[in-house]
Amino acid sequence: MFGLPLAFTAPLILSALVVLPALYYLLRLTPPRPREVSFPPLRLILDLQAREETPARTPWWLMLLRLTLAALIIFAMAGPIWNPLPTSEGGRGPLLVLLDDGWPSAPTWTQRVAAASERMAAANRDGRPAALVPMSDGAREIAALDTTRANERLRTLKPAPFSPDRMQVLPAVQVFLAKNPQSEIVWIADGLARGQADAFAQGLAKAAGDARVQIVKEDRLPLAVTATENAAGGLEASIVRADTRSASGGLVRAYDKKGLAMGEARFDFGAALETKAQFDLPIELRNEIARVEISGEHSAGAVSLLDERWKRRRVGLAAGSTSDVAQPLLSPLFYLRRALQPFAEVREAPAGRGDPILSLLEDRVSVMVLADIGVVSGKAHDELLRFVNDGGVLLRFAGTRLAGSTDDLVPVRLRRGGRVLGGALSWDQPKQLASFPPESPFAGLVPPEEVTITRQVLAEPDANLPNRTWAQLADGTPLVTAERRGKGLLILVHVTADTTWSNLPLSGLFVDILRRVVALSGQTQQADGDTGAVVRNETLAPSRTLNGFGVLGAPPLTAKPIPANFNGPPSAEFSPGFYGPAEAQVAINTLSPGERLEPAVYDAKFVMENLMRAEPVDLRAALVACAFFALLVDALASLWLAGGFDRMRTRKLRGRAASLLFAAVLGGSLFAGDRAYAQAPSQNPALTTRLAYVVTGDAPADEASRLGLASLSRALANRTALSPGDPAPVDPARDELAFYPLIYWPIVATRPQPAPEAVTRIAAFMKQGGTIIFDTRDALTARPGGPPSPEAQWLRVLLAGVDVPELEPVPRNHVVTKTFYLLDNFVGRTTVGQTWIEALPPDSADQANRPARAGDSVSPIIITSNDLAGAWAADSNGAALYPLTPGGARQRELALRGGVNLVMYTLTGNYKADQVHVRDLLERLGH
Amino acid sequence: MVDVRLLDKGETGAQALHPLEALDLARRLPGLIVSAKEVAATVMHGVHGRRRAGAGETFWQFRPFVYGESTSRIDWRRSARDDRIYVREREWEAAHTVWIWCDRSASMGYVSNLALQPKIDRGLVLGLALADLLVRGGERVGVPGLTRPFAARDIVERLSERMIEEASRHGYVVAELPPADALAPRTQAVVIGDFLSDPDDISRMVLGMASRGARGHLVMVADPVEETFPFTGHTEFRDVDSSARLRVGEAQSFREDYMMRLALHRDRIRAIAASRGWSFTVHRTDRPASEALLALRMQLEAGLGG
Repeated sequence: MFGLPLAFTAPLILSALVVLPALYYLLRLTPPRPREVSFPPLRLILDLQAREETPARTPWWLMLLRLTLAALIIFAMAGPIWNPLPTSEGGRGPLLVLLDDGWPSAPTWTQRVAAASERMAAANRDGRPAALVPMSDGAREIAALDTTRANERLRTLKPAPFSPDRMQVLPAVQVFLAKNPQSEIVWIADGLARGQADAFAQGLAKAAGDARVQIVKEDRLPLAVTATENAAGGLEASIVRADTRSASGGLVRAYDKKGLAMGEARFDFGAALETKAQFDLPIELRNEIARVEISGEHSAGAVSLLDERWKRRRVGLAAGSTSDVAQPLLSPLFYLRRALQPFAEVREAPAGRGDPILSLLEDRVSVMVLADIGVVSGKAHDELLRFVNDGGVLLRFAGTRLAGSTDDLVPVRLRRGGRVLGGALSWDQPKQLASFPPESPFAGLVPPEEVTITRQVLAEPDANLPNRTWAQLADGTPLVTAERRGKGLLILVHVTADTTWSNLPLSGLFVDILRRVVALSGQTQQADGDTGAVVRNETLAPSRTLNGFGVLGAPPLTAKPIPANFNGPPSAEFSPGFYGPAEAQVAINTLSPGERLEPAVYDAKFVMENLMRAEPVDLRAALVACAFFALLVDALASLWLAGGFDRMRTRKLRGRAASLLFAAVLGGSLFAGDRAYAQAPSQNPALTTRLAYVVTGDAPADEASRLGLASLSRALANRTALSPGDPAPVDPARDELAFYPLIYWPIVATRPQPAPEAVTRIAAFMKQGGTIIFDTRDALTARPGGPPSPEAQWLRVLLAGVDVPELEPVPRNHVVTKTFYLLDNFVGRTTVGQTWIEALPPDSADQANRPARAGDSVSPIIITSNDLAGAWAADSNGAALYPLTPGGARQRELALRGGVNLVMYTLTGNYKADQVHVRDLLERLGH
Repeated sequence: MVDVRLLDKGETGAQALHPLEALDLARRLPGLIVSAKEVAATVMHGVHGRRRAGAGETFWQFRPFVYGESTSRIDWRRSARDDRIYVREREWEAAHTVWIWCDRSASMGYVSNLALQPKIDRGLVLGLALADLLVRGGERVGVPGLTRPFAARDIVERLSERMIEEASRHGYVVAELPPADALAPRTQAVVIGDFLSDPDDISRMVLGMASRGARGHLVMVADPVEETFPFTGHTEFRDVDSSARLRVGEAQSFREDYMMRLALHRDRIRAIAASRGWSFTVHRTDRPASEALLALRMQLEAGLGG
């Protein structure tokens, strides 16, 4: 409307705008409320009443405001829509929506569905049915549905991972159009010529007659990956675009089988339609890549899947003859090298590194090529056999040496000597190759005419020989034989790798054969070893397939297994994806190498429309909001004109407003306070040194531990330089133990053993330098030499999984008795129990009379039975909580001193033991 | 735009007040008292600058003793200097009485944004300051119908207390004019108010009060808005004391008439005052209170002197 993208749903209401002048007149007549003024001397002029009573006119700006308000409401009632939906302008018949649902439409699928939905909604407003025809539907009959069902249908559609053939839909479309000549046709097209778009467009133009055909398409045509190649320099992905309006560059990402990103590469088309992106990755990583996709281009075409065939194999080459550098063309390795290099990593044994076969096997080659090596023996033979059994591929070429004598690493028994064809002593002509048997891995290769074999080694006839034959001459003589040995393959080519016996190495077939052999090295696990021939499955079941958006997933129900030599483009039955068993998957890609994207050419009479359109905006809400705002302004203005603000200034109202404001502020601050409270920082256990105790789950024991350690912490803070924090309860299964230097563990025999993970963590804690005091608290019940108490047994079970050092009762001169106080033993609630500590290394002679001895580190474990925590425990006033045996303040003090010594021992280690050397050191310094 | 408002009941302290509202006035009065004292102090200071004989115990003159007089009046110290006998005469010591009355009616509780103070505040400040000034000058001050004349150092506080008490009394009706009872001769009356009552009532009041020869001063407190009538546009005027309303289309067209009526009204009051020898001054609340107080004082002095 008026050249603006504006439309009204109820334009008739706009006629109400003619009322505005009347409104103007009315508003002019109705003055605003007078201003009220208190005026004490009023009685002086009260009698002047009748003088001039003409009311003031409404101010012009207020009138303008009110007229705008009225106009806004009228406009809002008329239902204005910005960027309105396209109204159905074509015909009175049903709406036919043709929807391209191949992968090229996947990146803009949402917009396509929205466009189709909008068109159908517009048709629905006119009460016309709609027919939705996805191009992948094939020759199904088209029926016009009501919009609801068509919409349901639309919602279930997903882009297909292939380019459906549109010509299959055309007959049904023609039938439909013949039946409904007044149809309106909307083709939501992907803009690519793939799937016979041009032919379909011509057919449609013919079938539509003079009906209006609208093409909705996206200007930016999609990109696609046509091929990936694991070249020598890196993994190369070929990317194509349909025309220069598409994206001119971007990012390609590579993923491995599990979907982890392996690398990314940039590409830039420049002005071309085709470009390459190269991944510079080490070969091991490149071989891991299973999927390459264009970043941000969510379609099956932008994904390229890689299987074993893309892996670059490492191939080791060894020859029986010494290589003559001066005449390379005589060396078989020359031909092999040249043939293998494009698709494999070729390794040759460096001269002078011992046995070349062994050194190549050390390089972990996948395929070992032995050119004319007759007998491999000794260690090289064993290693080679092991290599084959483990899944390696051993490819041997015949030659004079092999013809002379062979070892057991050949697939067939060979006749001595071999035969010569076309020679002076032969009647036969040089033989050509027969076509490859279908079960051969070379099936599908075409043997060229010009390849002739003049000499070869012959296999002894054998029942298994036909099975083991992969290639044969025209007269049926095996040329390539193979046998499965263990997991690997033995392959023998009955001619040399150079041109002395045949011209095979000069042909392209040689390269193809080698390529297939190298590819076989990835699949050597499958197939049984007995028959010798690699079993090529007739069909491969889909394993994971791509959907139209380029996402790998479970194959759809309609997916069919592909024939083993499937080579065609993917279709409804054969989705792109991975096929076959997990260890030897075959990748089927959406596009085949060398393919190009062509933009579709549409008939000139079609109406083009861009897919990317601004969303229609319903302006009603905004207009009503504006009107409401204008109403508010009007109310305020009226109030102001009538002097209402002055009345609001009275103290009471102000007071009320102030109290309201105050309440709001108070409420806000209350809420703010809550938030602030919720953000109380959690305590970081690493910030303070804290003693810890293990929560056994037995409430009295845990309480005693807590109080005892708290009391000990107070004593430490009072007497030593250490001010520990509050003791921490820990659960070895859950809590991080590394923060605590010393953990006190009272043994409660009735509790279950901790979980194995907890035991591992305890062991790790002790290994990392922590100390645990196990307190069995059974000094009164256990008899020395008697049966172990339940607590002792419990502890034994616990420590069974822990690396406990050798223990001994604390010796009198152990440094733990000297670290702070000088102590004889460690007492707790009882005094009779023994305290065990890691045994010190045996005395050396000069240490014998040292007052203090220490090992190299702190003992990770101290076991006592005296119930230390019980003796330490005191309430906040320092009053003892548990009775002692035999009792007395002295015993309690000694228990605390013992605790102080233990803590000091764990924190300072053998420092005190070193101190006793001070006198000696000083004496030495003095002299 | 000129902005007027009427004080709340609690703000005027002139209505039938509840104890609470009386407290409100009490809360409000100290401020008035302070300002009243301040105003009084500035005025006293200004006038004392001119030397004048003080009232009270001071010496006036010696005159020769006349036979028949009480001998106790002889000033022996002076008489001993020569042969004649002198009598020490002192200044006339009888204090004058001044009645001060402040209008506290609803129409006084009116303030516009042009004024410094509501009219009632200005009236009370003027009245209390004058009382303070007079008592310090040795006069006695009373409020007609409320207190008898008295002199006390804390006259301001006591008058305020009485006003609060009166206002909180049950059945108190605020009066626009003082009772027209006759005042004693040689007393003076100061009536402070807006004098927007009927001129006949004013005439009756003045005649009544002056019927025995008392002199008086009328101080008309007026808000600037009442003098200039700055209203424009469609306006509805409300009376303060009554429920009368006047809606006018163009308020500015009333200005001329109003000014004329106001001048007429004042002229009549002035004539009433002059007929009994009373003075009449107009004080606007956009002027400082001390100005009016000074003027009042000069006039009172003239009256006292006479």
